Amino acid sequence: MKSETLRRERLKILFSGLLTILFFTCCGGKGTPSFYMNQDVDFSFIKRVAVLPFENLTNERFAGDMVRQVVISELLATGLVEVTVPGDPISAIEKLRLKPGDPISADQIKTVGKDLKVQAVILGAVEEFGEVRYGNVSAPEVSITIMMADTSSGSIIWSVTKSKGGAGFWARHFGARSDTMSETVIAVVREALKTLFEY
Amino acid sequence: MTQHTGRCKIMNEIYKNKGRYACLSTAIAVLGIMLLCGCAQKYFIRESVDITRIRSIAVLPFENFTRDDFAGEKIRRIVITELLSRGVDVTEPGEVTKLLSELNVRSLRSIKTEEIKKVGETLGVDAVMSGSVEAFGISKGINVTYPEVTVNLMLLETGSGNIVWSVRSSTGGASFWTRHFGAEGIPLSEAARRTVEDAIDTVY
Repeated sequence: MKSETLRRERLKILFSGLLTILFFTCCGGKGTPSFYMNQDVDFSFIKRVAVLPFENLTNERFAGDMVRQVVISELLATGLVEVTVPGDPISAIEKLRLKPGDPISADQIKTVGKDLKVQAVILGAVEEFGEVRYGNVSAPEVSITIMMADTSSGSIIWSVTKSKGGAGFWARHFGARSDTMSETVIAVVREALKTLFEY
Repeated sequence: MTQHTGRCKIMNEIYKNKGRYACLSTAIAVLGIMLLCGCAQKYFIRESVDITRIRSIAVLPFENFTRDDFAGEKIRRIVITELLSRGVDVTEPGEVTKLLSELNVRSLRSIKTEEIKKVGETLGVDAVMSGSVEAFGISKGINVTYPEVTVNLMLLETGSGNIVWSVRSSTGGASFWTRHFGAEGIPLSEAARRTVEDAIDTVY
C-alpha cells in the first residue's frame, strides 16, 4: 500500500516536471507581437488597401519583396479587404520620385491614396530574414514590422512588430520537425495580421 | 466459479484496453486536426467572378526571389503545363515575352492595371497570371537537407484588371522518416510540381 502511494507521488512529480518543461518551451515570451492600434479609427471603413514596397533591412536581396508578396496574398485570403494590383503602388510612388522602400511622408501617403483610390496603405520593413545559428544548430528567423496609414490624414493607424524563428526545444533535442523558411515567413505574417483582423 | 472469475478478468482487461485505445485514437485525431490546421493553405477567389469561365490565360514571366537564376522560368513552365492539362488555353510564352517588351514593361513587379488590360486586349485572353518564386532549392534543416519550393500565384482578369484569384503554395521540410531513419525525400523537381499542382487545385 505504502509503495503504491510512493509510486503515485513519484508519478505526480514526474508529470508536473514535464508540464513545467512544456510550459517553458512552448509558451515562452519569444515571438509575442507588440502592436499599436488607433482606437478612434473605425477599421470597417477600410475596404481597399495598397501594399507599398517594404523596406529591406537585411542582407537578403529580395526579403522585402518576398514578405510584401506574402502580405498581399494573406490580406486577399482574409477576404476582408481588397488589394490593388501589386504593380500599381510601385508606379504611384515612382511618380513621386521615390524609390521602392524609401521613407514616405504623410502628404505623399495622401497623394498615393488619391491616385490608387484606397482608404489605407500598408507599409513595412523586414528586419531579419535568414538562417541564424544557435549553438550547433541553425534555424530560420524572420522579423517584420507592418504599418497601416490612413490616406485621408496620412497618419499611422496600426502598427505591429513580429518575430519568429529559432529551433525549438523538441527540434534541438528530440529531432522534431522544425519550420522551413517559407513556413516561418507565413507564420510571422499571419501572426502580425491577426492583430488587425481580430480587433 | 474459477472460470467465471477468469472471464471477468479478461473482460476487465478488454475494457481497460478499450479505454486506452479510445484515448490513443482521440489523441491521434487531435494531432491530425492540429497538423491540418497548421498547414492550411489559405487562398483568395473573388466571389463575384465565375473563374471556371476563364478559359484562356497568358502566363507572365515570374519574379524570381531565389538564388537559382532560372527558378522563375522553371516554375512558369510547370504552371503552363499544369494549366494546359486542365483544359485551359495558354498563350505561347514567347508571345507574352515579346509583347511585354513591345509595351516597354521594364519590370514585372511594377506592371500596372492598364498594362494588364492591354496584354489581355492584344493577346485576346480572359486573364493574365502573374507570380513569384519565393523558394526553390535544397534547404538545410538541423541535421538533414530537403527540397523547398514556395510560389505565389495571382490571376488578374483582363477586362477589369482586378485580382480574381491569389494563392501561396509551399512544399518543404524533412519528413519523419527522413529525419529519423535517413529515408530519401522527394527530389526538387517533384517538390516544384507538387507545389504548383496544389496551387492550381484551388482554382481548376
